[in-house]
Amino acid sequence: MAQREPQFNQQSLIDTTPMPDHIPKVEEIGATSAPLYSAAYFIGDRCKAYNDDFMKCKQESNGRGEVECLKEGRKVTRCAASVIKDINTHCLKQFTAHWECLENNNHQLWECRGPEMKLNNCVFEKLGLKKEIPGTPENVVPVHLRPKQMYSNHIGKQW
Amino acid sequence: MGVPFEALLPFGIIIGSFTVGSAGLWVVKNYANEGKKARWNRDLWDRVMMERDYRITGTKRGQSSNHEAPKGFELSNPWKLEKRIF
Repeated sequence: MAQREPQFNQQSLIDTTPMPDHIPKVEEIGATSAPLYSAAYFIGDRCKAYNDDFMKCKQESNGRGEVECLKEGRKVTRCAASVIKDINTHCLKQFTAHWECLENNNHQLWECRGPEMKLNNCVFEKLGLKKEIPGTPENVVPVHLRPKQMYSNHIGKQW
Repeated sequence: MGVPFEALLPFGIIIGSFTVGSAGLWVVKNYANEGKKARWNRDLWDRVMMERDYRITGTKRGQSSNHEAPKGFELSNPWKLEKRIF
């Protein structure tokens, strides 16, 4: 994503030239925004090492990261795709319920804690991936484990 | 002293017009969002992701949870062109 939005852009250019053959191919992820957001914490759990590796490579390549970190980038893509594929095969019902709820509620996680709880339990049972919000203090209940959500449309317990 | 019914006719027209207008707006909004609630307060990231969704699914509010992108998706990324000012 570009650093700033284009101003007054009148036309867009779609370059359909494929990547040259000496660059190995990778399947792009076909999940759209709501399923990706729903699966984000599980992707983070399984792919943390690959993601950190990619970010470190980008940081150390002095602005040439797009070219030099292709290998790390492919690993990130493949790992995320594997998580989505696994969730689709094992927890399709809970996953669909959660991302449809997100899509219907402006992608706000606090509106969908009920479906999220079911999805988290299913994914933890079947795949062993756990949702953890980075940087949560140890002496408080993480926000996704509180049944009541302060800004939710639904007043009261969500599950 | 009852109010003559002619005095109430304009109110009927006013209320009826508001009803028709709001119903029309509701229908248009519902149609544009494909029956879902509208997105609001979108930032740059959300807008870019919604464009990406459109390139994957082909509809404005469609979603898909496939792990593989459709064929040709990686080549459909648009560059937004700007006119040079200087």
